[in-house]
Amino acid sequence: MSEKAKVSAVGLTKKFDDLLVLDNISFDIAKGEFVCIVGPTGCGKTTFLNILSKIWPATSGELLIDGEKADPKKHNIAFAFQESSAFPWLTVEQNIRFGMEQKNLPKEIINERTEQMLELLELKEARNYFPRQISASMESRVVIGRSFALHPDLLLMDEPYAQLDIEFRYHLEDAVLKLSKMTGSTVIFVTHNIEEAVYLAERCIVLTNKPTTVKTIEKIDLPYPRDICSKEFTDIRDRITDYIKWW
Amino acid sequence: MTNDGEKMKKALCAVISLLSVLTILVFWYMISWKNPELMPTPVETLKQMFEMIVNPTGVSLFEHVAASFTRVFIAYFSATLAGVLIGVAFGWSEIFRDFVHPIFELLRPIPPIAWIPIIVIWFGIGEVSKIAIVFIGAFVPIVVNTYSGMMQMDPIYEKAGKVIGANRKEMLLEIVIPASFPHILAGMKTALSQSWACVIAAEMIVAQKGLGYLIVRSMESGNMGNILISIFFISGISALLSYLFNKLEAIICPW
Repeated sequence: MSEKAKVSAVGLTKKFDDLLVLDNISFDIAKGEFVCIVGPTGCGKTTFLNILSKIWPATSGELLIDGEKADPKKHNIAFAFQESSAFPWLTVEQNIRFGMEQKNLPKEIINERTEQMLELLELKEARNYFPRQISASMESRVVIGRSFALHPDLLLMDEPYAQLDIEFRYHLEDAVLKLSKMTGSTVIFVTHNIEEAVYLAERCIVLTNKPTTVKTIEKIDLPYPRDICSKEFTDIRDRITDYIKWW
Repeated sequence: MTNDGEKMKKALCAVISLLSVLTILVFWYMISWKNPELMPTPVETLKQMFEMIVNPTGVSLFEHVAASFTRVFIAYFSATLAGVLIGVAFGWSEIFRDFVHPIFELLRPIPPIAWIPIIVIWFGIGEVSKIAIVFIGAFVPIVVNTYSGMMQMDPIYEKAGKVIGANRKEMLLEIVIPASFPHILAGMKTALSQSWACVIAAEMIVAQKGLGYLIVRSMESGNMGNILISIFFISGISALLSYLFNKLEAIICPW
């Protein structure tokens, strides 16, 4: 583990009975870094995130935050799932407040951050609506708002825009980049879309097929906002595609 | 659809509903015209109801309604409280479920009316026995729906709560119960109509007043008018309660 690392995965391994899914995965992530994880379909990306978020226990290995064992009760870990996880019984505003209220943050901070998220994610007019009354894109923004409002030490995102069309995806990706810089949160973003990964990430962790290990870590040094048509962008995208290719 | 189109459709629906009521009235008239000794006409029934309200002999119609309503009210609210608690315990505690669920599953299929003899032997023919029968009828659907609501909760909400760091109590009170709330309300709605069915059945067997008692007494004296009036009251009160419940549901469960 490097001294500057905010988040470190040390030898993470996951077995389901005899099936080895994750095999001794290790990496460090600096504070505020935006890292994307890509890999072949079915390589275990979601399993990997579930282990990082402590939803499932690892068979062996550890996730460390600031050098300590990650603990959702102690550390601020947030997760934006692939499926919408906005609570249907809470309004847009209550959903955003929910995580902060669970963490017992002071009321002034909760109010301030809620207003900030509603403003940044263009949800002010829908603040009193329930999730069933808003569009899929807005629902995704609610979950993103709820996650970033916590100013998490580690935010895990599992293809949160998989259900959305391309226009909304770029719109939300820009919003996520803005929020990650503003909150200083470390983000691990899982996607099967390599273009999305190159658009967002400072580093891209490429995983292999099962049993999954880290194939390579690609640093992406392009300035934001990134031009998806530039040669540098397409070169990186093609290089990562070559790593994942199995055909 | 245009505004005019929608208005037309609504008007057509209202006319069809009116036609269905008129059809019943026409059939009623036809039967009472052919067999006046079996069925009084709608107008005669209305007159008889008016008479029962204005000049009651013995227990008045409203006293019968009030007696049935009070029994339903007490039993339904006790069953709601107990049913939700037991349903939540089934869904939340594996030990409790393993211990109590087999007994519950064994007793659940027994129709509430089948309990009447046991309850009468245990509690006599007073108010407690009738309330107990209604309680059993209302309790079962509330437990079943509360439990199945908890079991059918989308696991994504549990995951979201877990990641946020909600403890077990917060998970139950702030995620699992709210997520199951629509199911709980559906169980309560079923229980409400079940309560009315049970109170009538119980009053038909062991009571001195109540709509069920009125039906049986009227049957014994061959008073079809009184039977019809009682049935209309049961149907009217059930429909009214169901309407009020839907309104309440829209307020307390707006999602």
